[in-house]
Amino acid sequence: MSKFNQAIYEIQNLDTISKEDKWVNHIHPLIKLFLTVYYIGLVVSFQKYDLEGLCGMCIYPIFVFIIGELSWKEAIYRLRIVLPLVCIVGILNPFFDTNSIAEIGGIAISGGVVSMVTLMIKGIFCILAGYLLIATTSIEEICYGLRKIHIPKIMVTQILLIYRYIFLLLWETKRITQAYALRAPGQKGIHIKAWGPLVGQLLLRSMDRAQEVYESMCIRGFQGEFFIRKRNEKVKGEFIYFIAFLIILLICRIYPIFEVIGGFFL
Amino acid sequence: MSHIHIDVENLIYAYEKDHQVLKDISFFAEEHDAIGVVGANGAGKSTLLKLLVGLDLNFKGSIRVEEIPLEKETLGKIRERMGYVFQDSEAQLFMTTVEEDVAFAPRNYGLSEGEVEKRVTYALEKVHIEHLRKKPIYKMSGGEKKLASIATILSMTPDIILMDEPSVALDPKNRRNLINILNEFDHLKIIASHDLDFIMDTCNRVILLDGGEIVESGSTDEILKNEELLEMHGLELPLSLYRK
Ligand SMILES: Nc1ncnc2c1ncn2[C@@H]1O[C@H](COP(=O)(O)OP(=O)(O)O)[C@@H](O)[C@H]1O
Ligand SMILES: [Mg+2]
Repeated sequence: MSKFNQAIYEIQNLDTISKEDKWVNHIHPLIKLFLTVYYIGLVVSFQKYDLEGLCGMCIYPIFVFIIGELSWKEAIYRLRIVLPLVCIVGILNPFFDTNSIAEIGGIAISGGVVSMVTLMIKGIFCILAGYLLIATTSIEEICYGLRKIHIPKIMVTQILLIYRYIFLLLWETKRITQAYALRAPGQKGIHIKAWGPLVGQLLLRSMDRAQEVYESMCIRGFQGEFFIRKRNEKVKGEFIYFIAFLIILLICRIYPIFEVIGGFFL
Repeated sequence: MSHIHIDVENLIYAYEKDHQVLKDISFFAEEHDAIGVVGANGAGKSTLLKLLVGLDLNFKGSIRVEEIPLEKETLGKIRERMGYVFQDSEAQLFMTTVEEDVAFAPRNYGLSEGEVEKRVTYALEKVHIEHLRKKPIYKMSGGEKKLASIATILSMTPDIILMDEPSVALDPKNRRNLINILNEFDHLKIIASHDLDFIMDTCNRVILLDGGEIVESGSTDEILKNEELLEMHGLELPLSLYRK
């Protein structure tokens, strides 16, 4: 049971970090949103053997981790369930693609291995980028940003509600499983026979709760627009940050940055 | 500001066809009134409050707030004047921290950030939870959540407050605290509860509901001291009256 609690706490905690008072947290959500999408786009566009070039893309997450004063350990801990999944994706490549394309210390490296590693790193980078966006930007800010680029009200409201709904679902699950555990002492997990009714209950109850949350928003003046804390002034340097990363990331996409830097020393 | 009042006439409502939950409810509530809506479980108290804030407009009869009929077009305007506190505070609070949640309404009403800040401080002070300002909602106790959800309403500076079973899940100290807070708010209040002691301490008028009908209305003393009447409708004398 406590594992479950822990999981909910972790997610909600992320929500709290995103409201901290660091410079990155204050950057306009649209900038962060756009950079994230841009970054993911670039990362995904690398060729499957272009491991070297891809590695250059680590600049962005490293930079954001540093200026956001975020903890690597925490990120890895939080992503511990997702990361292995991403790594599994390319795991069969070495078996299908056995052409050797490089050699390290006399050992031939097959294309499959390279493409597997490339795919893994792509996945990790994309997930990190998403994590960094969420850890530095609250859901309201993201929704606000989406509205600014004229995504329809109804869709943005849906996104917000789904986000809220996840928490409700989690808490409701917790409550129901707890109630069950109390009446089925000494039993590990939930008996398969009870699953049907429990899931039914869970859906009904969390739908009720979701309805209430929506009502609570409506009676407090919500009409589909998002109003976030207005910054007193534009954050200094946010525009430079934006432009700089657009350019730096593009350069990293075009030139294998490590090779270029390495070239200077040879 | 015009004179605050709510005028309900011949209100009829059903969740499902041919099962009326409210049958022909009429009453008038004025500024400075504190009205207790009492009745046994299922009498229709919660339903009545929900209709008053316009959470469902499929009713028959009329509800008017300051002479404005409650309809789809006027809903926004009326809600600006009304604060509704849910029975379940957890359902009411949906932002991450207390501060964010309390700021939700003023921000929605387009106030400047300075004004929002002031409203938040005002509301938190009113319910004496300034110290919880930055606290994540999911780390709060039931009593704290109740106070926070009241603050989310006070930050709208409403003229009318509606509350559903506010005393449920409060310990004696929080309960006392809440009674004081309510008594300080001297606009129109409508409080639904089967906790008659709580109503005794906060309301000057009482509407007694049973099976969706108003069976009696009058001053708090008149109704809550009438043992026979209360028992007929599934309620008991407030405990405080037994002690005397
Ligand atoms: N969502 C709903 N759908 C159908 N019937 C409902 C719903 N909510 C309440 N009711 C019914 O309406 C009646 C009044 O309920 P309610 O207003 O919650 O009473 P109270 O708050 O006085 O306990 C009850 O008979 C209840 O079963
Ligand atoms: Mg009720």
